[in-house]
Amino acid sequence: MATTTTEGSGSARLFVAEQELGKQRGLWGDAFRRLLRNRLATAAGALLLIIFALAFVGARWGPVARYGPDDRDYTPGAQQAGPTWDHWFGTDQLGRDLFARVLEGTRISLQIGLGTQLLVLAIGIAVGSAAAFGGKLGDNLLMRFTDIWFSIPDLLAIILLRAVLVGRDIPILTEPKVLMIVAIAMVQWTTVARLVRGQMLSLAERDFVTAARALGASRTSIVFKHMLPNTLGPVIVAITFGIPVAIFAEAALGFVGLGVPPPAASLGTLVNVGYSLIQRNTWAVVFPAAAIAMLMLSFTFLGDGLRDALDPRTR
Amino acid sequence: MLAYTIRRLLWAIPVLWAIATITFLLMHAVPGGPFTQDKTLPPATQAALNRRYNLDEPLPKQYVLYLWNGMQGDLGLSVKGDQEVSDVVRRTFFVTAQLGALGFLLAVLVGMTLGTLSALNHNGPLDYLGVAFATIGASVPHFIMGAFLVIVFAVQLSWLDVLGWGGPLKVGQITDLGVYDYRKLIIPVVAVSTLPAAFIARITRASVLEVLSQDYIRTARAKGLRERRGVLRHTIKNAMIPVLTLMGPLFAGLVTGSFIIETMFGIPGLGRESIRAVIARDYNVIMGTTLLFTFIVVMSNLFVDLMYAVVDPRIRYS
Amino acid sequence: MSIKNRWFALVVGLLSVALVFGAACGGDDDDDGDGGGETPSAGASATPSGGGDGDQAPADQQKISIQFPEPEFYDPHRSNFEQDIGVERMLFRGLYNLTDDGSGGVKVENAMAAGDPTINGAVYTVKLGAHKWSDGKAVTAQDFVYGITRACDPAVASPYQYLLGAGLGDVVGCDALTKNEDPAQAETLKAALGVKAVDETTLEITLTKAIPTFKTVFSLWPTFPARQDVIEAKGDAWTDAGNIVTNGPFTISAKTPGDSVVLAPNANWAGKKPALQEITIKFIDDIAAAYKAFQNGELQATSILSTDIKTAKADADLADQLVVVGSARITAVEIQMENEALSDLNLRMALSRSIDRETLNNIVYDGSHKPATYWVVEGVTGFQGNAAFEDKIGYDVDAAKAALKAYTDSGKTLPTLRFTTRDTPQRRNEFDFLSKAWKDTLGIEVTPEFVDSKTRSQRFNAEDFDLFPGGWQLDYPDIENPLVGLFDTDGGNNHYNCSMPEIDAAFAEANAATSNEARIKAYQKVETLVVTNLCGVIPMYQDGLPFLVSDKLGGVVPNGTIDAGLPGTYCVECWFVKK
Repeated sequence: MATTTTEGSGSARLFVAEQELGKQRGLWGDAFRRLLRNRLATAAGALLLIIFALAFVGARWGPVARYGPDDRDYTPGAQQAGPTWDHWFGTDQLGRDLFARVLEGTRISLQIGLGTQLLVLAIGIAVGSAAAFGGKLGDNLLMRFTDIWFSIPDLLAIILLRAVLVGRDIPILTEPKVLMIVAIAMVQWTTVARLVRGQMLSLAERDFVTAARALGASRTSIVFKHMLPNTLGPVIVAITFGIPVAIFAEAALGFVGLGVPPPAASLGTLVNVGYSLIQRNTWAVVFPAAAIAMLMLSFTFLGDGLRDALDPRTR
Repeated sequence: MLAYTIRRLLWAIPVLWAIATITFLLMHAVPGGPFTQDKTLPPATQAALNRRYNLDEPLPKQYVLYLWNGMQGDLGLSVKGDQEVSDVVRRTFFVTAQLGALGFLLAVLVGMTLGTLSALNHNGPLDYLGVAFATIGASVPHFIMGAFLVIVFAVQLSWLDVLGWGGPLKVGQITDLGVYDYRKLIIPVVAVSTLPAAFIARITRASVLEVLSQDYIRTARAKGLRERRGVLRHTIKNAMIPVLTLMGPLFAGLVTGSFIIETMFGIPGLGRESIRAVIARDYNVIMGTTLLFTFIVVMSNLFVDLMYAVVDPRIRYS
Repeated sequence: MSIKNRWFALVVGLLSVALVFGAACGGDDDDDGDGGGETPSAGASATPSGGGDGDQAPADQQKISIQFPEPEFYDPHRSNFEQDIGVERMLFRGLYNLTDDGSGGVKVENAMAAGDPTINGAVYTVKLGAHKWSDGKAVTAQDFVYGITRACDPAVASPYQYLLGAGLGDVVGCDALTKNEDPAQAETLKAALGVKAVDETTLEITLTKAIPTFKTVFSLWPTFPARQDVIEAKGDAWTDAGNIVTNGPFTISAKTPGDSVVLAPNANWAGKKPALQEITIKFIDDIAAAYKAFQNGELQATSILSTDIKTAKADADLADQLVVVGSARITAVEIQMENEALSDLNLRMALSRSIDRETLNNIVYDGSHKPATYWVVEGVTGFQGNAAFEDKIGYDVDAAKAALKAYTDSGKTLPTLRFTTRDTPQRRNEFDFLSKAWKDTLGIEVTPEFVDSKTRSQRFNAEDFDLFPGGWQLDYPDIENPLVGLFDTDGGNNHYNCSMPEIDAAFAEANAATSNEARIKAYQKVETLVVTNLCGVIPMYQDGLPFLVSDKLGGVVPNGTIDAGLPGTYCVECWFVKK
């Protein structure tokens, strides 16, 4: 750790920066080590890596997927079949391979989960920091607004937003997945915004920020160099927990027929179709439902691990 | 405390107004109206229907009319059979509240028992079971849970039914034991209770563990207070605080999160009614159900804050 | 939480998932019987046989529960949906009644009317028989005047007013009354309506012109009688249990919104005495659940999903309780003729001839529908059927490619077409099937727009679509109903913008026809022109509706053109519980 006796504000600033850098490197390194030590979270992370690989690479790679998600088989008896060596998860009503469909559905659910959180992150950080630095009025406005937004049940708000947005000629929103991402993110961003605001307000009072400010660092540099990185820990945790929530929201709506509009089918839609055929072929529910459960469990375990790792105080 | 409560209650008014406005704007932005159908109604018929439900007025006027009537307790008519929206909301909420209350009761029973047993059996087999339940229950969606329950108990074993609501549909039937049908009740109630039960188990366990490690319990134990009594008296009482504070939002979550389960099992509750209303563009019902949901959430938040004060005398609101 | 704990949690979690898998697996073995799918089931459209009164169980066992979606209104002048009408026909009757003729067709019989009307130009005089309301009062001509006035009254806003308006019922003054917005004029216009009570039992109905379908129209729900005293005293609550007064075989004894309605026989009903002493109509939208309830014996009749047909056929108990009824509806790919590419008959023909309707029906709809290249449904007089059109617009890959070649040879490019449809599992499969067929055979790309039902209808009404799976449910079984207003240039339901002078001429011919035969011939000509020119519609199939009807329930005679909600609902007084 650099200690210096050199006079002058320049080196003092350097000192602060180094202090903080060291502290940060230590922080992230420690966190990562703690995460690895949590073997369940590590296992969940590894499982997620495998799922990602299957969904994004395997689905397009012959030896794994073996069938396209839209390859049909109209020969009598080839539809609604249970698992076989050829069709590992069985087939659906048009004789399509359910394994390929579940891989595709998993990819869509993951895209929705991650996409939503990206958007949530963008809106949340923007609004959260604006509120933290927008003075009393801005702060009040945001807090009152999030209060109100918190008071509508999530699913109802998403259903309404989806109904408003679907079938419009708004450029990006004609893409079904984007539509769903926007609808869910519109409901979820308030959590992150509040978190960012709270973190920033409390950080603003902390020593290193006061020091940086005293040393004449500009407002922007304080926010981007010092404060944002320090809010990241809790935000990452919130985002990790947000992914399964978004996946759940989409799957739940897909289950009642209000999910991602076709042609592509998300896991929720697959469960919906399967459930309507439950008398015929139970497998058509079991596999996509198990995939949803597995995704949500993995993200929750990983989130638990991250929370413990990034914020040891909550242990 | 009283002033605080009143202030919070008053704050509910602008919240409800804001939600009413947002919902009004959103639902009128949805394409199509309640009388849109493939077989086009002749213009005269369409006009007559719109007039009947005040839909021929310009939107701002409809908005003002709605607020004005709403303040006087008139939520308007549903286009489905001209039922009073207040009746529809009351009727469907009665069912949803039962589902919520039963699910909640089960969740509290299971959650607190498991949580306490887990903590007392720290790192023993019971603890593992409790933790397993708490972790899995908290992350498996209720409709997936419902689907698995249906597959096992209704489709494969045929022990239970999955059609409609197995409790009373009218307030007057509560005491009529003939209307209760456990075969229909079990799956939906278990499905909605899993998640809150898992939460409660988790919190109870952590909280009991914490209390057990505190000095006064140790002292009590050292003094020879018998294990069971000591636990019951001191631990549970003190461990209740975090659990109690959690109950408001959990109950609200149960009631407002009923969309999927009600649709799945054909239960005539508030959640299913609101989905129907959105799809049918039954504007007044959309407004009515959304406002009730909002009201429940606002009240449960208030309940949490007041509970803090009740269970923990150190907290004071002014 | 210790790490050890969490590992244990994971193991328990995986175990429980494995358990569920195990259970599901066990079930699948039972289903292996239908895995082959080769065994033909003859019971597909088995009709539960009637049987004489001798089969009837004693009165105290004459109770059934049946499934219906919940009606919105029980008031025949306000109803809009099939389930409303289905229940209303159990409660009310008009002057005449439509019933099965014993050979799958439809006949009109007297209900409240004592016989045929005396016709003087366009004035029809009907004598009423001796009939009573459920409260014992006689059914009078005044009740009919009041009922029909309600159907035309804008304050009541009947969605089916148009059945009495110009071109269909042609009742004098009905359209004028509906269009009126001035309350001061209302009484004058009501008085001018062409429906008068000459005396207690004589009704005089004046039309703008004589119509051959008079008895059919006056069997429909907008023409049902209504009790002025009851409705004025009780207001909108007049259809509640305890308030309602009916003139049909049944009346309402209990009503639980969101759950059920219970019907009891109307003691004053003078027609065929119903055997059933209690009908509980359970409101179940989730018909997958209803299937289960039927198996448990909770329901004696229910509609089921077409996807459940195969399961029902494979089930020894259910196979002979399965009833598939051809309904009065054709589903077609409806076409926006204003679309430049689609205005070319060659392209439409290419689209039509690449649809393998047989396979579509077998794969997507489990064989429940009837593949159709016709537009006027089976069961209606004048039905032409596939024989007339199959070789002109039916599945033929070579002909489809030839038509496409003719299209591109004229210098036109392949379009990308929108396909607007509802977001349900079956519609999704239907789209997947059609789009692949068009892509593989013709190379035409179709982009789907999956929307909810209201958005879909709104698009249709606004004529904002290219391709649109939809159809026409017959309001009454007459050949004119699926044609008039849909394919004439100025037709109110012509959202296809189908406009052909030949078709308009054929409509004029039908209008001018003096005999019923000539009229039907002219309408057949309309159908032929519409179908062979694919003017707005590419017919795909006649909808078949699958039901489960208990073998304990007798007297149920399905007739797709007049059933509403369940088979045989047009004559619920014929139903009985067998011994």
